[in-house]
Amino acid sequence: MSLLSVGRLAKTFSGRPLLDVSGLVFEAGSLYVLSGDNGAGKTTLLRILAGLAPADEFHFRFDGGEFTGREYPAWLRRKIIYVHQHPYLFNTGIKANIAYGLRVRDVDAALREHAVLAAIEWAGVAHLSDVPPGQLSGGEKQRVALARAKVLEPRVLLVDEPAANLDSAARAQVLELLRQTTSDNNCVVVACHDREMLDLPGVKRLHIDAGRVTAV
Amino acid sequence: MELLDASQRAFVLLFSGDRELWQIVYISLKVSLTALLIATLLAVPAGFFLATVHFPGRRAVVIALQSLLSFPTVVVGLMLYLLFTRSGPLGNFNLLFTQDIMILGQAIIAFPVLAAFTLAAVQGADPRVHETALGLGASRTHAAVTTLIEVRFAVMAGVFNGFGRVISEVGCAMMVGGNIAAVTRNIPTAIALETSKGDFAQGIALGTVLLVFALAINLGLAWVQGEGELK
Repeated sequence: MSLLSVGRLAKTFSGRPLLDVSGLVFEAGSLYVLSGDNGAGKTTLLRILAGLAPADEFHFRFDGGEFTGREYPAWLRRKIIYVHQHPYLFNTGIKANIAYGLRVRDVDAALREHAVLAAIEWAGVAHLSDVPPGQLSGGEKQRVALARAKVLEPRVLLVDEPAANLDSAARAQVLELLRQTTSDNNCVVVACHDREMLDLPGVKRLHIDAGRVTAV
Repeated sequence: MELLDASQRAFVLLFSGDRELWQIVYISLKVSLTALLIATLLAVPAGFFLATVHFPGRRAVVIALQSLLSFPTVVVGLMLYLLFTRSGPLGNFNLLFTQDIMILGQAIIAFPVLAAFTLAAVQGADPRVHETALGLGASRTHAAVTTLIEVRFAVMAGVFNGFGRVISEVGCAMMVGGNIAAVTRNIPTAIALETSKGDFAQGIALGTVLLVFALAINLGLAWVQGEGELK
């Protein structure tokens, strides 16, 4: 079932066309891997889909609704979550970081606490609860960032190069978390170069080249 | 010997609960903390706006703001005096020689300090802070507050600086407050007056109180500021 479909998305950068996407469909229950050379526009595409960067033109459908123009609907930003390649963790604590999105949604404190503890357990970061975020390794930061996104139950989770600069053990942990995050109700899109990720069974492969996205 | 003697009398004044002395302390703290609060509420959002929104003339505004950092307090006093003197354009407000105009003057003095520190702090902030907050569903206002909390160490340094500037300034308070006993006489203007009269004991006592209160208030602000991250 189509969850998010991009009818048209165009973006130029310094007068040079960067993205010219049409007919791109993301289905619920799928894990997508988006590959492409450095500078091909993977990050820009994910950021536009998450409403964090402007497009020159866009037209897409999400969950039955249709959006067009330049103004990204604020509520949609709460359904489509983007995880940065080098996630920023607020200088508070791991629990407060994971609770952030729930707090801004005014989720009841007891429910929030329950969800955060479950997410900490899921990401395997319980033993790091008292460690200041600045002292976490790259893999640990990725896991906390994934927990922070998962706790919001996003319909579309966009993850940018999650395995970059991680050792093989940390990469395996992150890939496993991404697989677990994919459910019938959502889809996960991962931009990466990682061979291990591209070769995973069951993933749907997309490739971006010359601003166009094609299924591989 | 004179200094020792004056210091001894100063401590007698302090610990005997001298009414006049403590009234001066009260006026000083009330005026400066109120001014600092007003300046913070206006200057921090202004600094954030300057750091995040591009508009024509922005650079000129930033240069003007930074120039105001070296604006003499006595000139702020002079300008307010000319505006609020009975024959001045705002003379009808009858604010001259009141605590209110001292608060206004000190808020004007603290504003550029706080705004410039906030501007520098937000401009130096990691751009991922704001984006992460927005991406997790925060409104623009909430994301701005999150950014300010993340850079609070530098913003609070501005608050320390602003507090230091207003609690110790004489020029503006003297000019618009008039140094009226029990009304507008604050610690710096009282020290200036007592010293000119040769009463060093009162000056030393007030100077001591100023230092102690400055330390206490800075400790409170440091608690808000947090430990900061080692680089």
